[in-house]
Amino acid sequence: MRRNRWLLLVAALVAVLAFGAAGCGGDDDDAAAEETGATDGGQPAAEQVFRIGWGAEPPSLDPGKATDTTSSNVLLALMDPLVRLNPDTLAAEPALAESWEVDGNTVTFNLRDDATWTNGDPVTANDFVYSWKRTLSPELAADYAYQLYGITGAAEYNGCEKNCEALADAVGVTAVDDYTLQVELTSPQPWFVQQASHHSFLPVHQATVEEFGDNWTDPENIVTNGPFMLESWDHDASINMVKNPNYRDAANVSLERIEGPIIVDGTTRVQSFEAGEIDALDGAGLPPEEIERLKTEPYYEQYPALGTYYYGFNTKNISDVNERKALSLAINRKIITDEIDRTGRDQATGMTPKGIEGFDVINPNSPWLPPEGDMEEAQALYAEVQNPHSKINLFHNDAPGHKEIAVAVQDMWKELGVETTIKAQEWAQYLEFLGPPPNKAVDVYRLGWIYDFPDAINGLELFTCDSGNNNTNWCNKDYDALVEQAKSEADANARWELYRQMEGIMFDEDGEVPLTPIMWYTYPNLENDAVRDTFFISPLDQIDFTKVVVQGS
Amino acid sequence: MAAFILRRVIWTIPVILLVILMTFGLMKNIGGNPFRKTDRAVTPQTQANLERKFNLDKPWYQQYALYVKGVFTFDFGPSLAQPGRDVNEYVKEQFPRSIKLGLLAFVWAILLGFPAGVIAALRPNSIVDYSVMFFSNIGFAVPSFLVATLLIYYFAVKIDLVPTSGWPLGFWSLDSRVLLPSFALGLLPMAYFARLVRGSMLETFQQDYVRTARAKGLRYRRIVGLHVLRNSLIPVVTAAGPLLGFLITGSFIIEYIFSIPGIGRGFVSGVQNRDYSVVMALTVLLSLVVIVANLVVDILYGFLDPRTRETGR
Amino acid sequence: MVVDRRETALEIAGKTPFAPEIGEAAGAPVRQSSLWRDAFRRYTRNKAAVASGVIFIGMCLYCLLIPGFWKIPGIWTSIFDIDPNDADFGQTYLSPSLEHPFGTDGFGRDLFTRTALGGQISIAIGFAATFAILVIGVTYGSISGFVGGRLDNAMMRFLDALYGLPYLPFAILTIQIVSDQGAVDFKTMVIALAIASWFTTARIVRGQIMTLKQNDYVRAAKAVGARWYRVLSRHLLPNTLGILIIAVFLELPGVVLGEAILSFVGLGINPPDASWGSMAQEGREAYRLHPIEIVIPGVAIATLVICANFIADGLRDALDPRTRET
Repeated sequence: MRRNRWLLLVAALVAVLAFGAAGCGGDDDDAAAEETGATDGGQPAAEQVFRIGWGAEPPSLDPGKATDTTSSNVLLALMDPLVRLNPDTLAAEPALAESWEVDGNTVTFNLRDDATWTNGDPVTANDFVYSWKRTLSPELAADYAYQLYGITGAAEYNGCEKNCEALADAVGVTAVDDYTLQVELTSPQPWFVQQASHHSFLPVHQATVEEFGDNWTDPENIVTNGPFMLESWDHDASINMVKNPNYRDAANVSLERIEGPIIVDGTTRVQSFEAGEIDALDGAGLPPEEIERLKTEPYYEQYPALGTYYYGFNTKNISDVNERKALSLAINRKIITDEIDRTGRDQATGMTPKGIEGFDVINPNSPWLPPEGDMEEAQALYAEVQNPHSKINLFHNDAPGHKEIAVAVQDMWKELGVETTIKAQEWAQYLEFLGPPPNKAVDVYRLGWIYDFPDAINGLELFTCDSGNNNTNWCNKDYDALVEQAKSEADANARWELYRQMEGIMFDEDGEVPLTPIMWYTYPNLENDAVRDTFFISPLDQIDFTKVVVQGS
Repeated sequence: MAAFILRRVIWTIPVILLVILMTFGLMKNIGGNPFRKTDRAVTPQTQANLERKFNLDKPWYQQYALYVKGVFTFDFGPSLAQPGRDVNEYVKEQFPRSIKLGLLAFVWAILLGFPAGVIAALRPNSIVDYSVMFFSNIGFAVPSFLVATLLIYYFAVKIDLVPTSGWPLGFWSLDSRVLLPSFALGLLPMAYFARLVRGSMLETFQQDYVRTARAKGLRYRRIVGLHVLRNSLIPVVTAAGPLLGFLITGSFIIEYIFSIPGIGRGFVSGVQNRDYSVVMALTVLLSLVVIVANLVVDILYGFLDPRTRETGR
Repeated sequence: MVVDRRETALEIAGKTPFAPEIGEAAGAPVRQSSLWRDAFRRYTRNKAAVASGVIFIGMCLYCLLIPGFWKIPGIWTSIFDIDPNDADFGQTYLSPSLEHPFGTDGFGRDLFTRTALGGQISIAIGFAATFAILVIGVTYGSISGFVGGRLDNAMMRFLDALYGLPYLPFAILTIQIVSDQGAVDFKTMVIALAIASWFTTARIVRGQIMTLKQNDYVRAAKAVGARWYRVLSRHLLPNTLGILIIAVFLELPGVVLGEAILSFVGLGINPPDASWGSMAQEGREAYRLHPIEIVIPGVAIATLVICANFIADGLRDALDPRTRET
């Protein structure tokens, strides 16, 4: 009897091992076999149904309230923006606006006259006036209201506490006539037209919003004007869209249906794709450990992105610029991008990422950001620091990928004689911790910035003295002056020179290095044969469903 | 009996109030800004506007009073993190899904666990017994997220028997997507039931009255069916209540991995997003579930085991 | 007066992690020496429990000795002299070899040592949290059970309220409040797990105390005029001791698994330290290409849990042969 119980124990342990070991075993065969849509011909499939796996539930489909990528991409499918950006050049291309004129601080959009809402009403300039003022209204309290602050009177109206009608009227956007929209800007802001492709600038249908209030985005109420219509939205489960037959350009839209299950877990997303249940992911990210395996598969794609991943210094704690320079030099970015991140990202040599227009002029090729690091130089420099820190607190949020990079950096800084304590925090708490001003325990923190529009100012203005996104405690008046100057400079080349100077203040030989950029983002994604040729993610993380064609077999 | 039930029901009210207070206190203390979802800072104007809109600028006791009022009028207000969504609607949508998941897991547990335990008890120390004990150990011992991932890998990717994720949304609708998640969730209760039933039956076999029945010459089957099974049910029933409560509330991992839009996941996201309305509503709801489950069990227990009816424990 | 009717009978291997109250138990006056010796004898007759005990101790030794107390230099020297946190990117994902018996992970760190280190942390968390659970649970349960009446009712209802707070969000909230700037270290994890899991123990202790209270010898002690603390400490608690020891090995798996779940959610131990839970979470992502990363922590956790179960069974049979679940 006892002997048999012991047998039981052994059997249990053996089976646990077997269970685990069975988890190994060849699995190269399944993926290829499971794929749908072989791609021999270039023939579009008879059924143009595209299945995309969304990585998150969109908190809101109201252009005024949406802040995340999923909402943004769904909105850009449901609505027609003024302009869309060319995926390669990022230049503004006409969409709802046929043409536009820029004259000093005034931008005039000429709208098409054949665009309609799904209920038949024509889309007019008034819709835009109403929508933008609504986004700026203090009642709506839109997170992204600041996107429109380039318009005169916008910031004032948004900050108003009572009796705001007068301020609302003073906002610089007017409908000259039904199809002409005039915008008064606070300064030339040459990027404004490109910025107008952002979902915050989308129009909403006034009567619908007024009738249904917060519920206007429900599928039975919603009124849109874009290439697709919202068929169903089961919260946290799926979003399905169908083609809008009355869209102004419906003839050129191939997809009939877009089915979108919402799968929040990265590993499950990959599994779902490899089981053939979805045609593509939405660029929301792949589990870092799986990248190595997925990169060898034909369905792996990688898109350059306009974003910078950086470690910021709390310049109040690490106040010696030589120390910051040394810490920056000690980081071997190539190891991070090639061995740890492995999604083909570029090592950062400045703040502004490759792909931004004017990059060649703007990039400082900083001596403090050598791609492979320079440990000797770093150690030499570190020796010159008076009172160097022997212990540093490195904070990051607990999303996938950051821990591994932090561990690598921790190891690199160990060679300088610095003991780094890594602290991972949950997102909401992390943001509060960073302030600004950051909690005094913060020595180094990790953040990334994805650009809202393709101009370097979007990233560079983060580090002005008053910016709510400057967590470094660094404040340089010259820098701020340059930022103001750039905002008023209409000539592109001149602006790029100014950007170069800003980068220089931070990263030149005598720069102050308030942060150390690590790499520039990419969007790794999985796409099967049926859609790979026509599906892409733009550097601003936007998906254009009007271009997608499902290839058949 | 009626007095007992009434007393317990009345006690529920202060318990709920206490739960609200504790959750409220916890949520207030963890800090974090429910309105800042991305790393982009929220302008002070926007922050002020939002706080005003959601009554967050009022002193804490007023906020607490508002919450309590909301609970008793069943109006939990709008969600903070998901603008435009009403918490009431949200709960009405998501809660039945978690219940369904929990019930299906419970079904697995009973379907597989109960007979397994019975069979094992009837043949103690045999191969059958050891297999049962062995599987029940596995059910306890391996972390659920590992089991779930491997299950998906085998059954959904490799042999493509079922889809990898998703969930049929209508309460009464079922399709193959329910199999893996409910099984994965049901593993632990399954194992637990098997052991419990086995243990309880074995113990009952030792009781004097069973021995008497055998001495009297009653047929084995009759003994088992009439006496042993019924009396072994007692601990099972006792365990079933909190277990059901656990199943409904503790399914976060399974819901997350299988993309099931239920409240387990919703609760954790609510905490992470500092969505106070959602957190408060779900806490109250889940506490009620547990309290009701315990109450039902206590009542059933009173019926099943007359000995406990007499004294108040 | 204690007659062990089970000398020849079958053993019961039931386990109650969600313990309903234990109704009756051996309530004889405590004869210290022979109780423990008896118990030890009974325990060693249960081969499975003995084997589990051996395996368990073996695991503890492995975890302690292999990495050595490398944070306390000079006390032990590590057998292989490998720093488990030393990343070496030239050596990632090596297969098992003599130098690296389990291979290396994605950072080139030796898995054999790392598993041992993870074990240190996991087992330490397990015991520390369990101890904390016992302290809180025993205090709460004995007060409630002993005093009885209205206070007991109130305390039990309060416990009901706590049961109503779902485990995971409660643990997350606790971590965030207790933690040092939101970073999860050993102390934080222990406190969070303990706070989220002490309810069952309190219930068990309360049930036990309440039953024991009815016994004659307690009434006799009270009649003679013994103070409440004497009754508690001399009569009630020692008889609860058996239950408590069992409870340790019952709670241990729950705590270890709880830690694994928290790691899955992202609130695991700070790097570069690892626990089996955080290693399991990392392994979960890499399992397609490097299954060993999921197998090793998975097997380690499972082994620990299974052994703890068997030890608990053995202890239960040894210490309280007439325990029944009701």
